[in-house]
Amino acid sequence: MGLDYKLVLWNAHKKTYDKIIVVSMLLYIIMFAAITFVFNSETSIETLVIRAFGSLAIIMLHIILVIGPLARLNTNFLPILYNRRHLGVSMFIAALIHGGFSMFQFHALGDVNPVYSLFTSNMDYGSLTNFPFQVLGFFALLILFLMASTSHDFFLGNLSAKVWKRLHMMVYFGYALIIAHVFLGAFQQETSLFTIGIMVLGFIVVASLHLITGFKERKIDTTKTKEKEGWLEVCNISEIEEDRAKIFTVENERVAIFKHNGKLSAIHNVCKHQGGPLGEGKIIDGCITCPWHGYQYLPSNGQSPPPFTEKVATYELKLDGETVFINPKAFEEGTEVKPCKF
Amino acid sequence: MTSGLRKAHKYIWLLLLIIVPLIMILSVKDLEIFSSESDTTSQSNGSKKGSLKTSENELIKASVFESHLEIILKATLKTSSSVVYEMDTKGNKSTIIGQLTAAGIYNFNINNLPKGIIIYDDLKQVEITKLKF
Repeated sequence: MGLDYKLVLWNAHKKTYDKIIVVSMLLYIIMFAAITFVFNSETSIETLVIRAFGSLAIIMLHIILVIGPLARLNTNFLPILYNRRHLGVSMFIAALIHGGFSMFQFHALGDVNPVYSLFTSNMDYGSLTNFPFQVLGFFALLILFLMASTSHDFFLGNLSAKVWKRLHMMVYFGYALIIAHVFLGAFQQETSLFTIGIMVLGFIVVASLHLITGFKERKIDTTKTKEKEGWLEVCNISEIEEDRAKIFTVENERVAIFKHNGKLSAIHNVCKHQGGPLGEGKIIDGCITCPWHGYQYLPSNGQSPPPFTEKVATYELKLDGETVFINPKAFEEGTEVKPCKF
Repeated sequence: MTSGLRKAHKYIWLLLLIIVPLIMILSVKDLEIFSSESDTTSQSNGSKKGSLKTSENELIKASVFESHLEIILKATLKTSSSVVYEMDTKGNKSTIIGQLTAAGIYNFNINNLPKGIIIYDDLKQVEITKLKF
Protein backbone atom coordinates (compact mmCIF):
# COMPACT_ATOMS: atom_id res chain seq x y z
CA MET A 1 0.00 0.00 0.00
CA GLY A 2 2.73 2.39 -0.96
CA LEU A 3 1.98 5.79 -2.42
CA ASP A 4 5.34 5.95 -4.12
CA TYR A 5 7.05 2.99 -5.68
CA LYS A 6 10.41 1.58 -4.81
CA LEU A 7 12.17 -1.06 -6.87
CA VAL A 8 11.83 -3.65 -4.12
CA LEU A 9 10.27 -3.05 -0.72
CA TRP A 10 12.79 -4.89 1.40
CA ASN A 11 12.17 -5.90 4.96
CA ALA A 12 13.88 -8.41 7.23
CA HIS A 13 11.52 -11.24 6.23
CA LYS A 14 11.95 -10.64 2.53
CA LYS A 15 15.73 -10.47 2.84
CA THR A 16 15.82 -13.80 4.70
CA TYR A 17 13.40 -15.34 2.24
CA ASP A 18 15.40 -14.13 -0.77
CA LYS A 19 18.60 -15.50 0.72
CA ILE A 20 16.89 -18.89 1.09
CA ILE A 21 15.77 -18.73 -2.57
CA VAL A 22 19.27 -17.85 -3.87
CA VAL A 23 21.05 -20.44 -1.71
CA SER A 24 18.54 -23.16 -2.65
CA MET A 25 18.87 -22.37 -6.36
CA LEU A 26 22.67 -22.45 -6.18
CA LEU A 27 22.64 -25.70 -4.22
CA TYR A 28 20.36 -27.31 -6.77
CA ILE A 29 22.56 -26.24 -9.70
CA ILE A 30 25.72 -27.46 -7.95
CA MET A 31 24.10 -30.78 -7.06
CA PHE A 32 22.75 -31.21 -10.57
CA ALA A 33 26.18 -30.50 -12.07
CA ALA A 34 27.91 -32.87 -9.65
CA ILE A 35 25.47 -35.72 -10.37
CA THR A 36 25.75 -35.12 -14.12
CA PHE A 37 29.55 -35.18 -14.06
CA VAL A 38 29.54 -38.39 -12.02
CA PHE A 39 26.96 -40.31 -14.04
CA ASN A 40 27.15 -38.62 -17.44
CA SER A 41 30.59 -37.10 -17.83
CA GLU A 42 30.27 -36.66 -21.62
CA THR A 43 27.62 -33.96 -21.19
CA SER A 44 28.71 -30.58 -22.55
CA ILE A 45 28.54 -27.43 -20.43
CA GLU A 46 25.79 -25.96 -22.63
CA THR A 47 23.66 -29.08 -22.28
CA LEU A 48 24.28 -29.13 -18.54
CA VAL A 49 23.17 -25.50 -18.19
CA ILE A 50 20.06 -26.12 -20.31
CA ARG A 51 19.05 -29.15 -18.28
CA ALA A 52 19.94 -27.79 -14.85
CA PHE A 53 18.10 -24.49 -15.24
CA GLY A 54 15.18 -26.06 -17.10
CA SER A 55 14.56 -28.61 -14.37
CA LEU A 56 15.10 -25.95 -11.69
CA ALA A 57 12.49 -23.68 -13.27
CA ILE A 58 9.97 -26.54 -13.42
CA ILE A 59 10.50 -27.45 -9.77
CA MET A 60 10.15 -23.80 -8.75
CA LEU A 61 6.97 -23.42 -10.83
CA HIS A 62 5.42 -26.40 -9.05
CA ILE A 63 6.29 -24.87 -5.67
CA ILE A 64 4.79 -21.53 -6.75
CA LEU A 65 1.59 -23.20 -7.92
CA VAL A 66 1.01 -25.03 -4.64
CA ILE A 67 1.65 -22.02 -2.38
CA GLY A 68 -1.76 -20.46 -3.11
CA PRO A 69 -3.93 -23.48 -2.26
CA LEU A 70 -1.68 -24.47 0.66
CA ALA A 71 -2.12 -21.01 2.19
CA ARG A 72 -5.90 -21.34 1.78
CA LEU A 73 -5.85 -24.73 3.52
CA ASN A 74 -3.33 -23.91 6.24
CA THR A 75 -2.49 -20.40 7.47
CA ASN A 76 1.06 -21.51 8.36
CA PHE A 77 1.89 -21.14 4.67
CA LEU A 78 0.84 -17.48 4.55
CA PRO A 79 4.39 -16.11 5.04
CA ILE A 80 5.46 -17.97 1.89
CA LEU A 81 2.51 -16.51 0.02
CA TYR A 82 3.61 -13.06 1.19
CA ASN A 83 6.94 -13.60 -0.59
CA ARG A 84 5.69 -15.56 -3.60
CA ARG A 85 6.45 -12.85 -6.15
CA HIS A 86 10.19 -12.99 -5.50
CA LEU A 87 10.08 -16.73 -6.05
CA GLY A 88 8.20 -16.15 -9.30
CA VAL A 89 10.78 -13.68 -10.62
CA SER A 90 13.60 -16.07 -9.61
CA MET A 91 11.84 -18.88 -11.45
CA PHE A 92 11.58 -16.68 -14.56
CA ILE A 93 15.33 -15.99 -14.41
CA ALA A 94 16.02 -19.75 -14.28
CA ALA A 95 13.62 -20.32 -17.21
CA LEU A 96 15.24 -17.47 -19.16
CA ILE A 97 18.71 -19.00 -18.73
CA HIS A 98 17.31 -22.34 -19.94
CA GLY A 99 15.58 -20.71 -22.91
CA GLY A 100 18.52 -18.45 -23.75
CA PHE A 101 21.05 -21.25 -23.76
CA SER A 102 18.71 -23.49 -25.78
CA MET A 103 18.24 -20.72 -28.33
CA PHE A 104 22.00 -20.25 -28.54
CA GLN A 105 22.70 -23.98 -28.71
CA PHE A 106 20.14 -24.82 -31.36
CA HIS A 107 19.36 -21.66 -33.31
CA ALA A 108 21.96 -18.91 -32.89
CA LEU A 109 24.56 -20.27 -35.32
CA GLY A 110 24.15 -20.14 -39.09
CA ASP A 111 22.50 -17.43 -41.15
CA VAL A 112 18.89 -17.84 -39.98
CA ASN A 113 17.41 -15.46 -37.43
CA PRO A 114 17.27 -17.49 -34.19
CA VAL A 115 13.61 -16.68 -33.49
CA TYR A 116 12.65 -17.41 -37.11
CA SER A 117 14.69 -20.60 -36.92
CA LEU A 118 12.87 -21.63 -33.74
CA PHE A 119 9.50 -21.43 -35.49
CA THR A 120 10.54 -22.86 -38.86
CA SER A 121 13.30 -25.38 -38.25
CA ASN A 122 10.70 -28.02 -37.50
CA MET A 123 7.48 -27.46 -39.43
CA ASP A 124 5.83 -30.67 -38.29
CA TYR A 125 3.01 -28.81 -36.54
CA GLY A 126 0.50 -31.51 -37.52
CA SER A 127 2.33 -34.21 -35.60
CA LEU A 128 2.04 -34.78 -31.87
CA THR A 129 5.21 -36.65 -30.96
CA ASN A 130 7.31 -34.71 -33.49
CA PHE A 131 5.65 -31.38 -32.68
CA PRO A 132 8.08 -28.41 -32.55
CA PHE A 133 8.15 -28.44 -28.77
CA GLN A 134 10.57 -25.52 -28.53
CA VAL A 135 7.78 -23.23 -29.74
CA LEU A 136 5.71 -24.26 -26.70
CA GLY A 137 8.61 -23.40 -24.41
CA PHE A 138 9.02 -20.06 -26.17
CA PHE A 139 5.39 -19.09 -25.53
CA ALA A 140 5.60 -20.28 -21.93
CA LEU A 141 8.70 -18.12 -21.45
CA LEU A 142 6.81 -15.19 -22.96
CA ILE A 143 4.01 -15.63 -20.40
CA LEU A 144 6.54 -15.88 -17.57
CA PHE A 145 8.24 -12.74 -18.87
CA LEU A 146 4.93 -10.84 -18.91
CA MET A 147 4.27 -11.92 -15.35
CA ALA A 148 7.75 -11.20 -14.02
CA SER A 149 7.92 -7.80 -15.70
CA THR A 150 4.54 -6.73 -14.29
CA SER A 151 5.03 -8.27 -10.86
CA HIS A 152 5.80 -4.95 -9.20
CA ASP A 153 3.07 -3.07 -7.34
CA PHE A 154 3.52 -0.20 -9.81
CA PHE A 155 1.82 -2.33 -12.50
CA LEU A 156 -0.69 -3.68 -10.02
CA GLY A 157 -1.71 -0.12 -9.16
CA ASN A 158 -1.83 1.05 -12.77
CA LEU A 159 -3.37 -1.97 -14.44
CA SER A 160 -6.01 -2.40 -11.67
CA ALA A 161 -6.14 -5.47 -9.45
CA LYS A 162 -8.67 -7.18 -11.73
CA VAL A 163 -6.60 -6.87 -14.94
CA TRP A 164 -3.38 -7.67 -13.07
CA LYS A 165 -4.88 -10.80 -11.53
CA ARG A 166 -6.25 -12.00 -14.87
CA LEU A 167 -2.86 -11.39 -16.47
CA HIS A 168 -1.15 -13.39 -13.74
CA MET A 169 -3.65 -16.21 -14.01
CA MET A 170 -1.99 -16.89 -17.37
CA VAL A 171 0.52 -18.86 -15.30
CA TYR A 172 -1.85 -21.82 -15.59
CA PHE A 173 -1.64 -21.75 -19.39
CA GLY A 174 2.12 -21.31 -19.04
CA TYR A 175 2.16 -24.40 -16.83
CA ALA A 176 0.23 -26.43 -19.42
CA LEU A 177 2.59 -25.22 -22.17
CA ILE A 178 5.62 -26.20 -20.07
CA ILE A 179 4.24 -29.69 -19.42
CA ALA A 180 3.61 -30.12 -23.16
CA HIS A 181 7.09 -28.69 -23.89
CA VAL A 182 8.71 -31.28 -21.63
CA PHE A 183 6.58 -34.24 -22.69
CA LEU A 184 6.88 -33.54 -26.41
CA GLY A 185 10.54 -32.54 -26.18
CA ALA A 186 12.86 -33.88 -23.52
CA PHE A 187 10.80 -37.01 -22.84
CA GLN A 188 10.73 -37.94 -26.54
CA GLN A 189 14.52 -37.73 -26.78
CA GLU A 190 15.47 -39.18 -23.44
CA THR A 191 12.87 -41.50 -22.04
CA SER A 192 12.98 -42.08 -18.32
CA LEU A 193 10.19 -43.55 -16.25
CA PHE A 194 11.54 -41.67 -13.24
CA THR A 195 11.37 -38.18 -14.78
CA ILE A 196 8.00 -38.86 -16.40
CA GLY A 197 6.72 -40.13 -13.04
CA ILE A 198 7.97 -37.03 -11.24
CA MET A 199 6.20 -34.73 -13.71
CA VAL A 200 2.96 -36.71 -13.51
CA LEU A 201 3.14 -36.71 -9.72
CA GLY A 202 3.82 -32.96 -9.74
CA PHE A 203 0.70 -32.34 -11.82
CA ILE A 204 -1.40 -34.60 -9.59
CA VAL A 205 -0.24 -32.70 -6.47
CA VAL A 206 -0.82 -29.26 -8.00
CA ALA A 207 -4.21 -30.18 -9.49
CA SER A 208 -5.38 -31.97 -6.33
CA LEU A 209 -4.53 -29.06 -4.05
CA HIS A 210 -6.34 -26.62 -6.33
CA LEU A 211 -9.37 -28.92 -6.48
CA ILE A 212 -9.48 -29.46 -2.71
CA THR A 213 -9.28 -25.70 -2.17
CA GLY A 214 -11.95 -25.14 -4.81
CA PHE A 215 -14.34 -27.55 -3.08
CA LYS A 216 -13.63 -25.93 0.28
CA GLU A 217 -14.38 -22.52 -1.19
CA ARG A 218 -17.55 -23.84 -2.80
CA LYS A 219 -18.83 -24.77 0.64
CA ILE A 220 -18.78 -21.11 1.67
CA ASP A 221 -20.61 -20.07 -1.49
CA THR A 222 -23.35 -22.66 -1.10
CA THR A 223 -24.10 -22.02 2.58
CA LYS A 224 -27.79 -21.13 2.81
CA THR A 225 -28.86 -17.93 4.54
CA LYS A 226 -32.40 -17.19 5.66
CA GLU A 227 -33.99 -13.96 4.47
CA LYS A 228 -36.15 -11.89 6.79
CA GLU A 229 -37.66 -8.60 5.56
CA GLY A 230 -34.78 -7.92 3.18
CA TRP A 231 -32.11 -8.88 5.72
CA LEU A 232 -30.12 -12.09 5.64
CA GLU A 233 -29.63 -14.09 8.81
CA VAL A 234 -25.99 -15.09 8.83
CA CYS A 235 -24.86 -16.40 12.22
CA ASN A 236 -24.90 -16.20 15.98
CA ILE A 237 -22.67 -13.52 17.45
CA SER A 238 -20.74 -16.14 19.43
CA GLU A 239 -19.58 -17.79 16.19
CA ILE A 240 -17.27 -14.84 15.48
CA GLU A 241 -13.97 -14.63 17.38
CA GLU A 242 -12.79 -11.31 18.83
CA ASP A 243 -10.74 -9.27 16.29
CA ARG A 244 -11.52 -11.90 13.69
CA ALA A 245 -14.21 -12.38 11.06
CA LYS A 246 -16.60 -14.90 9.64
CA ILE A 247 -17.09 -14.99 5.87
CA PHE A 248 -20.46 -15.26 4.11
CA THR A 249 -21.59 -15.11 0.51
CA VAL A 250 -24.07 -12.35 -0.13
CA GLU A 251 -25.41 -11.73 -3.67
CA ASN A 252 -22.56 -13.89 -5.07
CA GLU A 253 -19.88 -11.84 -3.33
CA ARG A 254 -17.99 -12.67 -0.15
CA VAL A 255 -18.52 -10.48 2.88
CA ALA A 256 -16.43 -10.52 6.06
CA ILE A 257 -18.15 -9.70 9.37
CA PHE A 258 -15.63 -8.61 11.99
CA LYS A 259 -16.07 -8.51 15.76
CA HIS A 260 -14.01 -5.87 17.57
CA ASN A 261 -14.35 -3.97 20.87
CA GLY A 262 -18.01 -4.84 21.37
CA LYS A 263 -18.90 -3.91 17.78
CA LEU A 264 -19.60 -5.69 14.48
CA SER A 265 -18.58 -4.38 11.05
CA ALA A 266 -19.00 -5.88 7.60
CA ILE A 267 -16.86 -5.21 4.54
CA HIS A 268 -16.31 -6.80 1.13
CA ASN A 269 -13.98 -9.74 1.63
CA VAL A 270 -11.69 -8.97 -1.34
CA CYS A 271 -8.55 -6.92 -0.74
CA LYS A 272 -7.90 -4.22 -3.34
CA HIS A 273 -4.26 -5.20 -3.62
CA GLN A 274 -4.27 -8.75 -4.94
CA GLY A 275 -7.71 -10.00 -4.02
CA GLY A 276 -6.65 -11.48 -0.69
CA PRO A 277 -9.37 -12.75 1.69
CA LEU A 278 -9.71 -9.94 4.23
CA GLY A 279 -11.99 -12.07 6.40
CA GLU A 280 -9.11 -14.47 7.02
CA GLY A 281 -7.04 -11.65 8.42
CA LYS A 282 -7.40 -10.02 11.80
CA ILE A 283 -7.77 -6.58 13.31
CA ILE A 284 -4.38 -5.11 14.14
CA ASP A 285 -4.10 -1.62 15.64
CA GLY A 286 -7.79 -1.07 14.91
CA CYS A 287 -7.43 -1.94 11.22
CA ILE A 288 -8.56 -5.02 9.29
CA THR A 289 -5.29 -6.45 8.00
CA CYS A 290 -5.13 -8.58 4.86
CA PRO A 291 -3.42 -11.89 5.59
CA TRP A 292 -1.64 -11.91 2.23
CA HIS A 293 0.40 -8.69 2.11
CA GLY A 294 -0.72 -6.67 5.13
CA TYR A 295 -2.92 -4.08 3.38
CA GLN A 296 -5.16 -2.41 5.98
CA TYR A 297 -8.72 -1.07 6.08
CA LEU A 298 -10.78 0.66 8.77
CA PRO A 299 -13.72 -1.57 9.83
CA SER A 300 -16.20 1.32 9.94
CA ASN A 301 -15.74 2.61 6.37
CA GLY A 302 -13.59 0.08 4.48
CA GLN A 303 -10.97 2.75 3.75
CA SER A 304 -7.23 2.35 4.11
CA PRO A 305 -5.99 4.74 6.81
CA PRO A 306 -4.56 8.01 5.37
CA PRO A 307 -2.44 8.64 3.34
CA PHE A 308 -3.39 5.40 1.58
CA THR A 309 -6.30 5.41 -0.82
CA GLU A 310 -7.60 1.85 -1.19
CA LYS A 311 -11.23 1.29 -0.21
CA VAL A 312 -13.70 -1.58 -0.25
CA ALA A 313 -17.49 -1.81 -0.08
CA THR A 314 -19.20 -1.81 3.32
CA TYR A 315 -22.42 -3.44 4.52
CA GLU A 316 -25.06 -2.65 7.11
CA LEU A 317 -25.59 -5.07 10.01
CA LYS A 318 -28.23 -5.48 12.68
CA LEU A 319 -28.66 -7.69 15.71
CA ASP A 320 -31.77 -9.50 16.81
CA GLY A 321 -30.81 -10.83 20.22
CA GLU A 322 -27.70 -12.92 19.52
CA THR A 323 -28.45 -13.33 15.81
CA VAL A 324 -26.55 -11.30 13.23
CA PHE A 325 -28.37 -10.00 10.14
CA ILE A 326 -26.82 -8.35 7.10
CA ASN A 327 -28.33 -6.07 4.48
CA PRO A 328 -27.28 -7.72 1.20
CA LYS A 329 -27.12 -4.39 -0.63
CA ALA A 330 -23.51 -3.19 -0.55
CA PHE A 331 -22.74 0.46 0.05
CA GLU A 332 -20.34 2.36 -2.22
CA GLU A 333 -16.70 1.59 -1.50
CA GLY A 334 -15.46 3.54 1.50
CA THR A 335 -18.94 4.44 2.82
CA GLU A 336 -19.05 5.06 6.56
CA VAL A 337 -21.40 2.63 8.32
CA LYS A 338 -22.15 2.84 11.99
CA PRO A 339 -20.79 -0.37 13.60
CA CYS A 340 -23.43 -2.59 15.13
CA LYS A 341 -22.94 -2.54 18.93
CA PHE A 342 -23.66 -5.49 21.20
CA MET B 1 -10.94 -13.36 -4.93
CA THR B 2 -14.07 -11.99 -6.53
CA SER B 3 -16.77 -14.40 -7.70
CA GLY B 4 -15.66 -13.83 -11.31
CA LEU B 5 -12.07 -14.80 -10.53
CA ARG B 6 -13.20 -17.84 -8.58
CA LYS B 7 -15.28 -18.93 -11.57
CA ALA B 8 -12.35 -18.32 -13.93
CA HIS B 9 -10.12 -20.45 -11.69
CA LYS B 10 -12.69 -23.24 -11.71
CA TYR B 11 -13.02 -23.33 -15.50
CA ILE B 12 -9.26 -23.06 -16.05
CA TRP B 13 -8.61 -26.02 -13.78
CA LEU B 14 -11.40 -28.09 -15.31
CA LEU B 15 -9.81 -27.43 -18.70
CA LEU B 16 -6.32 -28.28 -17.43
CA LEU B 17 -7.59 -31.49 -15.85
CA ILE B 18 -8.75 -32.63 -19.27
CA ILE B 19 -6.00 -31.27 -21.50
CA VAL B 20 -2.84 -31.95 -19.46
CA PRO B 21 -3.42 -35.70 -18.81
CA LEU B 22 -4.42 -36.05 -22.48
CA ILE B 23 -1.12 -34.49 -23.61
CA MET B 24 0.79 -36.65 -21.15
CA ILE B 25 -0.85 -39.90 -22.27
CA LEU B 26 -0.70 -39.24 -26.01
CA SER B 27 2.92 -38.11 -25.91
CA VAL B 28 4.26 -41.10 -23.94
CA LYS B 29 2.02 -43.93 -25.14
CA ASP B 30 4.38 -44.90 -27.99
CA LEU B 31 7.59 -44.58 -26.01
CA GLU B 32 9.49 -47.75 -25.27
CA ILE B 33 10.08 -46.81 -21.68
CA PHE B 34 11.25 -50.18 -20.43
CA SER B 35 13.52 -51.11 -23.29
CA SER B 36 15.06 -47.80 -24.28
CA GLU B 37 18.68 -47.02 -23.52
CA SER B 38 19.67 -43.69 -22.07
CA ASP B 39 20.92 -41.37 -24.80
CA THR B 40 23.58 -39.24 -23.20
CA THR B 41 24.22 -37.11 -26.26
CA SER B 42 20.69 -36.38 -27.30
CA GLN B 43 21.09 -32.62 -27.23
CA SER B 44 24.17 -32.75 -29.42
CA ASN B 45 22.24 -34.81 -31.93
CA GLY B 46 20.22 -31.83 -33.02
CA SER B 47 17.01 -30.27 -32.00
CA LYS B 48 14.41 -31.99 -34.14
CA LYS B 49 13.32 -35.00 -36.14
CA GLY B 50 11.71 -35.28 -39.54
CA SER B 51 14.61 -34.44 -41.86
CA LEU B 52 14.27 -35.24 -45.58
CA LYS B 53 17.87 -36.48 -45.89
CA THR B 54 20.66 -37.03 -43.42
CA SER B 55 24.31 -37.81 -43.86
CA GLU B 56 27.14 -38.04 -41.37
CA ASN B 57 30.88 -38.54 -41.06
CA GLU B 58 33.42 -38.15 -38.26
CA LEU B 59 33.43 -34.33 -38.48
CA ILE B 60 29.87 -33.33 -39.24
CA LYS B 61 26.28 -34.47 -39.41
CA ALA B 62 24.06 -32.74 -41.96
CA SER B 63 20.29 -32.93 -42.23
CA VAL B 64 18.19 -31.41 -44.99
CA PHE B 65 14.78 -30.05 -44.04
CA GLU B 66 12.16 -28.46 -46.28
CA SER B 67 13.60 -24.97 -46.14
CA HIS B 68 16.84 -25.26 -44.24
CA LEU B 69 19.99 -27.24 -43.79
CA GLU B 70 21.10 -28.25 -40.32
CA ILE B 71 24.80 -28.95 -39.83
CA ILE B 72 26.11 -30.29 -36.55
CA LEU B 73 29.81 -29.59 -36.30
CA LYS B 74 31.03 -32.21 -33.84
CA ALA B 75 34.28 -30.45 -32.91
CA THR B 76 35.79 -27.09 -33.80
CA LEU B 77 37.85 -27.43 -36.98
CA LYS B 78 41.52 -26.47 -36.94
CA THR B 79 41.25 -24.72 -40.29
CA SER B 80 41.09 -20.93 -40.30
CA SER B 81 38.27 -20.89 -42.86
CA SER B 82 35.43 -23.40 -43.12
CA VAL B 83 32.97 -22.42 -45.82
CA VAL B 84 29.96 -24.60 -46.58
CA TYR B 85 29.34 -25.07 -50.32
CA GLU B 86 26.49 -26.79 -52.09
CA MET B 87 27.67 -29.76 -54.13
CA ASP B 88 26.70 -29.82 -57.82
CA THR B 89 25.82 -32.90 -59.87
CA LYS B 90 29.50 -33.48 -60.71
CA GLY B 91 30.52 -33.46 -57.08
CA ASN B 92 32.15 -30.01 -57.27
CA LYS B 93 31.42 -27.01 -55.05
CA SER B 94 28.87 -24.56 -56.42
CA THR B 95 26.98 -21.93 -54.37
CA ILE B 96 28.01 -20.85 -50.89
CA ILE B 97 25.59 -21.85 -48.15
CA GLY B 98 27.36 -20.39 -45.13
CA GLN B 99 30.32 -20.62 -42.83
CA LEU B 100 31.20 -22.74 -39.81
CA THR B 101 33.16 -21.52 -36.82
CA ALA B 102 32.99 -23.27 -33.45
CA ALA B 103 31.46 -26.68 -32.74
CA GLY B 104 27.69 -26.54 -32.54
CA ILE B 105 24.43 -26.73 -34.44
CA TYR B 106 24.08 -24.50 -37.52
CA ASN B 107 20.92 -23.71 -39.46
CA PHE B 108 21.16 -22.33 -43.00
CA ASN B 109 18.37 -21.30 -45.35
CA ILE B 110 18.27 -23.28 -48.60
CA ASN B 111 16.08 -22.85 -51.67
CA ASN B 112 16.46 -26.33 -53.14
CA LEU B 113 17.57 -29.74 -51.97
CA PRO B 114 21.36 -29.99 -52.35
CA LYS B 115 23.01 -33.11 -53.76
CA GLY B 116 25.55 -32.81 -51.00
CA ILE B 117 27.75 -30.30 -49.21
CA ILE B 118 31.47 -29.53 -49.26
CA ILE B 119 33.28 -27.86 -46.39
CA TYR B 120 36.14 -25.96 -47.94
CA ASP B 121 39.04 -23.91 -46.57
CA ASP B 122 39.01 -20.88 -48.86
CA LEU B 123 42.30 -19.53 -47.53
CA LYS B 124 44.39 -22.65 -48.03
CA GLN B 125 42.27 -23.78 -50.98
CA VAL B 126 41.76 -27.28 -49.55
CA GLU B 127 38.71 -29.42 -49.13
CA ILE B 128 38.06 -30.25 -45.48
CA THR B 129 35.25 -32.75 -45.89
CA LYS B 130 32.22 -33.50 -48.01
CA LEU B 131 28.91 -35.28 -47.60
CA LYS B 132 26.56 -36.65 -50.26
CA PHE B 133 22.84 -36.92 -49.64
